[in-house]
Amino acid sequence: MENVIQTIAYGIVIGALYGLIGLGLGLIMGIMKFLNIAHGTFIMLGGYVSFWLFTLWGIDPYLTIPLVIVAMFLIGLLLYKLTLSPLLKLPHIGMRISNSLLITFGVIYVLDNAMTLVWKADVRTIIASYRGEALNLFGTRVPYTGLAGLGIAVLATVTLYFILSRTYFGKHVRAATQDAEAASLCGVNVQKTYLISCGIATALAGIAGVVIVSSYSVTPTGGLSWLLIGIVVMVLAGEGNINAILPAGIILGLVESASVFVVPIQYRQAIALLIFIIVLMFRPQGLFTKRG
Amino acid sequence: MSTIRANWKKLLPSGIVVAACIILPMVMEIGTHILSLMVMLFIYIILSQSWNLIGGYTGQINLGLAAFFGCGVLVTHFIWSIGVPIYLAVAAGGISAMFLGGVIGLPTLRLKGVYFAIGTLALAEVCRIVVGNTFTRMVQMPIYYVQNYNLISRYYLGLIVALIAVGVVYLVTNSKLGLAMAAVRDDEEAGQVTGVNTFKYKVLALLISAFLAGLGGGVYAFFQLTFQFVSSVFSPLWTFQPLMAVMIGGVGTLAGPIIGSVFLVILSEVFAITLGEAHLILFGILFILVVLFFPNGLVGFEHKVRQWMAHVRRSRLWRAI
Repeated sequence: MENVIQTIAYGIVIGALYGLIGLGLGLIMGIMKFLNIAHGTFIMLGGYVSFWLFTLWGIDPYLTIPLVIVAMFLIGLLLYKLTLSPLLKLPHIGMRISNSLLITFGVIYVLDNAMTLVWKADVRTIIASYRGEALNLFGTRVPYTGLAGLGIAVLATVTLYFILSRTYFGKHVRAATQDAEAASLCGVNVQKTYLISCGIATALAGIAGVVIVSSYSVTPTGGLSWLLIGIVVMVLAGEGNINAILPAGIILGLVESASVFVVPIQYRQAIALLIFIIVLMFRPQGLFTKRG
Repeated sequence: MSTIRANWKKLLPSGIVVAACIILPMVMEIGTHILSLMVMLFIYIILSQSWNLIGGYTGQINLGLAAFFGCGVLVTHFIWSIGVPIYLAVAAGGISAMFLGGVIGLPTLRLKGVYFAIGTLALAEVCRIVVGNTFTRMVQMPIYYVQNYNLISRYYLGLIVALIAVGVVYLVTNSKLGLAMAAVRDDEEAGQVTGVNTFKYKVLALLISAFLAGLGGGVYAFFQLTFQFVSSVFSPLWTFQPLMAVMIGGVGTLAGPIIGSVFLVILSEVFAITLGEAHLILFGILFILVVLFFPNGLVGFEHKVRQWMAHVRRSRLWRAI
């Protein structure tokens, strides 16, 4: 019984992180219909920025979050300006999607090698004084870093929800998502809306990077496996369904941590792919959307 | 056959190149460095033709070519090491890659959009992690094979498989299957309306493409006898390099992947010496620029230059001269 509760606690903690990863990915996919494959690599980059701030100036990893947000937001703006905005000129939506895939794949390649050059191929992690200590809750151990990750993920999701549903900018985003042409006729600056949402998505990747570097580790090429998880979360939640991403992440986390009872731990990654294929076969519209 | 006879003038230069590739190593001594480069070039040609078939002609972006390649490498390696002749082992590698293609293609190609790209990317990544966790030690052929290693046989196997790959892509794209693939790429809905079973043709194109990639993996297994980390054959690099060759050469053309591969091998040879690791960053930037600004690659560029020359010749200025 204790084992089960421990598994559930672990699943929720890691699932919240999965949700946080899926959030930025789902934002770009939902709004612009671009799939940003480089999202995982941006997560690693955010982790490295935090790692640098920690080692050079000794700032606590969770206090680096505002700085990481600003840095990654600017990088997101650059990404949009340099690589994604030229794609909007393409006439066909299918061409846009496939070209965004190719280009962000190129971005992965550039960033991977740049990060290897700057930070070497070593595994980097932040070991703060409280790392490894855990909260004892009814006989289950929940590490403080995991709890912090859970809190950050929930906070980010709620903030994004309020930005999208309560602000003027959010209104622009929703309008541009539904019909970009009609929105621009009504005076919405679609380009600017896209630009800022791309920045927000990259900033979310940076936040996920901070959570990862403070409770796991970052490597230059480690982004792909986190991206994979983000994509599975996105598919579980259903395309463009941003509010369902955190629950979908937690479901994935629970299934994954429960799978340890069935398959050896080193094959845990394969579970995500299996879930991905099963969901696509039987519920391609996602778990939380009513109709496809 | 008639098309081949009609185009013999066009085929002549490539025929000369192929003949030179066959004859030159027989008559003269070629250094091992050049020979290894040629083997890698053949592998790139095979992989980029394979990517072009599904990505260029059918329009389905495959981001997990490394999965099919790596599967071919592993299966060929282990089947060959138990004493099966190499050509059978390579064929087995191709067939196993085809099965892997079916596993990921059947669920994802039914759906539209990015699912196929995501599925293949996920497949390659999962293969890399699972294989990396399963084979933690170095994998190598028995010592007998290492002693009998000669590069010339690798060269010819690579050449033969590369010719097979080019030939298969040529035959497929000039058949009814090729027409159906073009229909899928240009407008899938219109194709469905006019009675093309798009799902079937997408799967067929993927199976052939995966088979070719598996053969390429077989050649690599024959070329490389020891693997420090087996998971490295599933690294995204094996997807990226062929993809880049296709993009630089020209998507959806037969010559494009070949030209792109030659370009890539020469370029990496030049830059690897002068820039070291940083040359990979340059490659990535070059790739992004090509996708953004030269979507037809070198083949398209050559076409444009020809058009421009014809235009100049017709212009008044030319006549005045």
